[in-house]
Amino acid sequence: MLLTLLLSAMVTIPAGSYQPLYGRPGEEAVRVERFRIDRDAVTQRQFLAFVQANPEWRRSRVKGVFAERSSYLASWRGDLDTGAPAQLDAPVTGVSWFAARAYCAAQGKRLPTVAEWEYAGAAGTKKRDAARDPAFIDHLVTLYATRTSRLAAPAADAEVNAYGVRGMHDRAWEWVEDFNSVLVSDDSRGVGERSHELYCASAAIGATDPRNYAAFLRYAIRAGVSARSSLQTLGFRCAA
Amino acid sequence: MRNLVITITAAAALTLGGCARTGDTPANTAAVSDTAAPTVVTRAGAIGEAFSLYDLGSTWKDQRGETVPLGQLAGKVRVVSLVYTSCHATCPAILVELKRIEESIPADRRDDVGFVLVSLDPARDTPGRLATWAEGNQLDPVRWTLLNGSEAAVRELAAILDVRYQQLPDGEVAHANVITVLDTSGTVVHQQVTLGDETRGTSAAVHRLLE
Repeated sequence: MLLTLLLSAMVTIPAGSYQPLYGRPGEEAVRVERFRIDRDAVTQRQFLAFVQANPEWRRSRVKGVFAERSSYLASWRGDLDTGAPAQLDAPVTGVSWFAARAYCAAQGKRLPTVAEWEYAGAAGTKKRDAARDPAFIDHLVTLYATRTSRLAAPAADAEVNAYGVRGMHDRAWEWVEDFNSVLVSDDSRGVGERSHELYCASAAIGATDPRNYAAFLRYAIRAGVSARSSLQTLGFRCAA
Repeated sequence: MRNLVITITAAAALTLGGCARTGDTPANTAAVSDTAAPTVVTRAGAIGEAFSLYDLGSTWKDQRGETVPLGQLAGKVRVVSLVYTSCHATCPAILVELKRIEESIPADRRDDVGFVLVSLDPARDTPGRLATWAEGNQLDPVRWTLLNGSEAAVRELAAILDVRYQQLPDGEVAHANVITVLDTSGTVVHQQVTLGDETRGTSAAVHRLLE
């Protein structure tokens, strides 16, 4: 019981603001209200308990609208067999956006928004706002390039940031509620002239800091997935 | 060799609705190497494995204020788009295209196709406002259904149709222009992701379903 409590611990993130990669004119910073976020990514063990209690989310039963059968929990050996008993405390991956949302809802939680995730994820190990710190950006790019080597490691052993949240950058990529808010034109780091014909009002959105390659990668991942897709490198944590 | 290199910008362009036309080269290309099981994400994925949109199970209000479970749309061929009534940029153009598709259907088969407009701005696009807008645009209420739903329901529907959108501080909603054709069971059979030159393909998809 104590273990469960520890595993499901959440961290309170105070209100503040952050500058999104894709900003809008007249809006330098986006305000983020106080929220709570899971200290750790959701683990294989926790997701297994969820599918035990909610059979409609088992691999063999999930509705096609909610997950691509070919990629959903693809590394599992069966409905209730993660296939790697030694890695039960590693982050669960291979879950669709719908499945991640359903898991959070079952805990009385929700997925964090892009703004919340980016705001909490801007913290370095010591500084709460390291988003524009070149050394931090370099560190993240290195972590992203090597993340697959750490996917099997326990979620709780991950890097701790200044808020006390663990593993936001050095484990799996993570789903966010409004992942499909990402509007990237063919010139992904600027405001393409043609973008206006493709998106209503999209000319208003352009990258505020093209040098932030780490942030660019996170946005690109969000732009590259669809709600039913699951990646072996994409997990999630919940917020409230 | 299980290494997979996703050319991120290209993948993004695909998911964003093929907004870069064939032959376009992304100006900035980022590559991420991913050594896990290869998973290629393309827009075709939405069509590759058959599923019914109606399994989302969400509930909406139409322009008459009546409750519409999504599954109630089953039984007719549906042409679906996400718009909002205060949009003055591309939404009127989407409407023009939808009407063009409607006119392409033989008169005696027109009632077999339903056009569904889902509001991306549910807070302002109340059923009453949708009704006024539909009337102003001369949308036949027999064929046209305008839907208002919760933020979460809109987010889900947009996500499953790969429609990217974002509320802007000035009240506009930036969004991708996507027209989706559903068969009578709610399976996506065709998606048009740019305006203009693809309407013929969309009309043809509708006509095939009526055969």
